[in-house]
Amino acid sequence: MREILLFLRRNTLAVVGLVILLLLVGFIAIGPLVTSYSPTKLDILHKLAAPSLDHWLGTDAFGRDVLTRIMYGGRATLAIGLGVVVLAFAVGVSFGTVAGFAGGWIDSLIMRIVDAILAFPALVLAIALSAAFGPSLQNAMLAVAITLAPQFARVARSQALSISVKPYVEAASSLGLPAHRILISYVFVNGLGPLLVQSTLALGSAILQTASLGFLGLGAQPPLPEWGADVSANLQYVRSAAWVALAPGMAILLAVLSFNLIGDSLADWFNPRRRSEID
Amino acid sequence: MASFIIRRLIALIPVMFIVLVIVFSLVRIIPGDPATTLLGPGATQQQIDALRAQLNLNEPVVLQFYHYVVGLFMGDFGYSLKTGQPVAAEILARLPATIELSVLAMIAAIIVGIPIGVLSATRPNSFFDHVTRVVSLLGVSMPAFLLALVLQLVFANYLGWLPVSGRFSPYMPVETMTGFAILDGLLTHNFQGALGAVQHLILPTAVLAAFLAATLGRFVRNTMLDVMGEDFIRTAKAKGLRRHDIVLNHGLRNSLLPAVTIIGLKFAEMLGGAILTETIFAWPGIGRYMFEAIKNRDYPVIQGTTLVFALLFVLTSILVDVLYSVLDPRVRRKMG
Repeated sequence: MREILLFLRRNTLAVVGLVILLLLVGFIAIGPLVTSYSPTKLDILHKLAAPSLDHWLGTDAFGRDVLTRIMYGGRATLAIGLGVVVLAFAVGVSFGTVAGFAGGWIDSLIMRIVDAILAFPALVLAIALSAAFGPSLQNAMLAVAITLAPQFARVARSQALSISVKPYVEAASSLGLPAHRILISYVFVNGLGPLLVQSTLALGSAILQTASLGFLGLGAQPPLPEWGADVSANLQYVRSAAWVALAPGMAILLAVLSFNLIGDSLADWFNPRRRSEID
Repeated sequence: MASFIIRRLIALIPVMFIVLVIVFSLVRIIPGDPATTLLGPGATQQQIDALRAQLNLNEPVVLQFYHYVVGLFMGDFGYSLKTGQPVAAEILARLPATIELSVLAMIAAIIVGIPIGVLSATRPNSFFDHVTRVVSLLGVSMPAFLLALVLQLVFANYLGWLPVSGRFSPYMPVETMTGFAILDGLLTHNFQGALGAVQHLILPTAVLAAFLAATLGRFVRNTMLDVMGEDFIRTAKAKGLRRHDIVLNHGLRNSLLPAVTIIGLKFAEMLGGAILTETIFAWPGIGRYMFEAIKNRDYPVIQGTTLVFALLFVLTSILVDVLYSVLDPRVRRKMG
């Protein structure tokens, strides 16, 4: 706890990131309870209304309140980001830790697959996979998780490599502990720090990528509110009613920025060379 | 040097094999019978049978893969389901537009990113350093389509300085020779046309370059701070060298090496961003071609463009390694 407070005191940008994130989470958690509008109900009479006291961010081409759609879309977007990272973490870390701990042909095989996935630009692979799986939110999440998992695998592997030669791991194995217990209780637990930094940064990429897939029509399908899809759905009205497309776009920017601010500061904090500079 | 490149290429074989397996699988993981899904609900049994034969779907999977790979080596990327044209030819026709855009974006990012990184590193924790840190984090967090939208609204719609989208001005078409618009304009003495091409390039280049410039600036700042703490910098200071000599000749030179790697990696990542940028700016490159293929469920084109993006990515990484070994002989000795 003291470590966390010290980190926040020394990192103004991380605090800014945390504040933006908390505001966003509060907004999408409480907002839908307060608003009297539905995110999906059509109201053609009031379509493309400019921002006013009734509709703070105006309405879209179907007369739906833009602010309300951003609140509900935020729930989807943050849940997607979190789901993608949990999935990528689980798959990437399992394979990476096993590769680093086992070595030999298992390591070679896993790392060649990792290299092959990394040989695609992440967005291209995510697009190709979700096009093949068929356009839906679940498939977009799966596709983005597949492209993010190798990064976790790489970090986990290098952690496992350096930890598995530590004296306490040797001690544990000479005590006769089974391999799976050493793997989980020693190698995985002691390598968590850098993986958590990676997770924070990956949350930003996960949101950005799923929003991009949504923008290209490969993520959430209408009328489900999702920020990326909402930008592209309103693109054609941008010249007369800029707010309908810009508002969800700004929401994506804020969410990704908040995670990057926190992740960037955490990365500095865990890097001894950088840390002396902060002190 | 030659043996270094050959070793590097041999190391690539297993990776490229898995890349081919992934691209090959793209059509096979479609739920249901691929041929029926590809052709849509209105297809006759005859059409389905013809496509099954064309994709070798009646053979065992291993044989299908073999035919696919042999075809690729002969330049056969399959045929577009929409136009019926060979995918390889359609990609080749669009490649210059994508290369023109991404190379220009890379140059722009280097021109902007490196000086910012150097200036930040010479004044760590100054106001300037903090501002560039926030701006570069903004650049990395900005969805490409949002930046594109804002730039289009401001520079095309509001100020009217630049065209909203497209590659040429409709009144000043450029005759195609090499496929590179500016070059073609100059070669055919169509200077108005070349100027129009430049104007059309500015906004998409800016969008594509923003991400790379932001990453690069931050990266150069961090490596330079590390380098400036090294012993040889202290020696240089003790020798009484001037400050800008130390920064440029000792600090920057040694920070540029790792920057080469990051430029290469991020350039390849930027190619992925080209899909969004080209789509928004109606830029006729392979990114937009891939987007249209997704809309039309034109799987051979999706496969072909995915493979080309991966090839460009892998080629860039080899180029980076070679360049790195040219710049830093230590790497060559260690790896070769």
